[in-house]
Amino acid sequence: MSDSTEAATTASSAKPRPPGPRLSARDLLNVAVFAVIFLVANWAIAMLGIISPVVWLMVTPLQIVVGAIPFMLFLTRVRRLGAVSLFGVVIALFYLLAGNSPLSSAVIAALGVVADLICQAGKYRSKWASIWAYTAFGMGFFTPFIPLFIDREAYFATSTWESMGADYVEAADKLLTTPLLSGLAVAIAIFGFAGGLIGSATLRKHFARAGLA
Amino acid sequence: MPAQRVDPPAGRADRGGGALRRHARLDPRAKILLVVIVSLAVMSPDGLIFTPAALALGVGLALVESAWRRAAALAGLGGVMWIGGWLAPLWLPGPLVLVTALACQFSIRFVASVGVAAHLVATTSPTGMSAALRAVHAPRAIAVTLAVMLRFFPVVAGEAAAVVDAMRLGGLARAGGLGRHPIRALERFAVPMVAASLRASEDLSASAILRGLGSRRRPTAMTPPRFGPADLAAGLVLAALAVLSLELRPLT
Repeated sequence: MSDSTEAATTASSAKPRPPGPRLSARDLLNVAVFAVIFLVANWAIAMLGIISPVVWLMVTPLQIVVGAIPFMLFLTRVRRLGAVSLFGVVIALFYLLAGNSPLSSAVIAALGVVADLICQAGKYRSKWASIWAYTAFGMGFFTPFIPLFIDREAYFATSTWESMGADYVEAADKLLTTPLLSGLAVAIAIFGFAGGLIGSATLRKHFARAGLA
Repeated sequence: MPAQRVDPPAGRADRGGGALRRHARLDPRAKILLVVIVSLAVMSPDGLIFTPAALALGVGLALVESAWRRAAALAGLGGVMWIGGWLAPLWLPGPLVLVTALACQFSIRFVASVGVAAHLVATTSPTGMSAALRAVHAPRAIAVTLAVMLRFFPVVAGEAAAVVDAMRLGGLARAGGLGRHPIRALERFAVPMVAASLRASEDLSASAILRGLGSRRRPTAMTPPRFGPADLAAGLVLAALAVLSLELRPLT
């Protein structure tokens, strides 16, 4: 009895143990829960595109911004290196299963690692590190355009483009120039940064008050 | 002691029952492989050749598991996208129709691959998925996370649908409102959806940890994954559909 009391006293007076290197079951559950929320939120926003063509044009920026809310909330629960990388890997795997190209999926997983390293630089407690981490991870929305940089001819030689006719392909080839695509990448980065700011403000406004952040 | 094969209790993996469905049940590893092959095929540069076959496969799998609504939705969506992507530009030439046609031609591939992936999600229990991933020696972190994700998908999708329904009832899900106040509209959707999902996840997480999820010890499975005649039949159907797609290439 006295031994157990002493042990309990020692345990309660000891400093909180720093998190170990391996991800715990709670970490894995957090990754799974927030990855599902991230995917469902993105899918729900994509479905809004059915309402009208005007909304369809707005879908990608909206997806970037809405994805920031679960991502920023997820970062408030991360303590170990590897959780954000795992988040990127499972998101990439689901996109791969949903028909994304292997290259795009690999880049999304790599962006997860980059985001993880940024968060670690901020010791997983820095608001700005979290915002920059989401800016990096949000670049995953640019991955469908990467083949245009790598092998432009092969991209336009696909049956989808061929079926649109030579004139259409020529017009698209002239339109989707490297400066335009670079501008698109910058726009996605800006939306990612704005999403990080909005996500951070949403945490403060709603989730911190409710005790969820 | 080797784990004995025991028939699973009536539950998610066995819902609906029926002799045909019991015999047509695929091994989770075969289902994962099927989804990966179909996704890679339809998203390849010449993926449109395989898209009708992938759509037919998705509809066929939905029919085998008696998911009538999914079968009808897949067939309907495929039909609408075929009309929008190929017939509409012939009837109504114009820039907007052409952009819509391009979007339909791109989206029909996603519909096809998501149709086959939906079979995996709907018919695989988290424990079955976990056992299958262990059997292929997937890293513990990925195996546990994917199994839990499979469990959470219906919960979070249900919460998202409830929030969208509530927004519709309140007149907040209109295109005009979204265009005028996108941030406010997003906030109204995302905040309740995330909060409700997190509340549901707390209970499920506690339950999962109590059941030993994420434990360092290798758990035994009540129904160890095993390949059977259904997997062979699925492989043959897949091969036949691939050959048929290549033969009918001039038509597609």
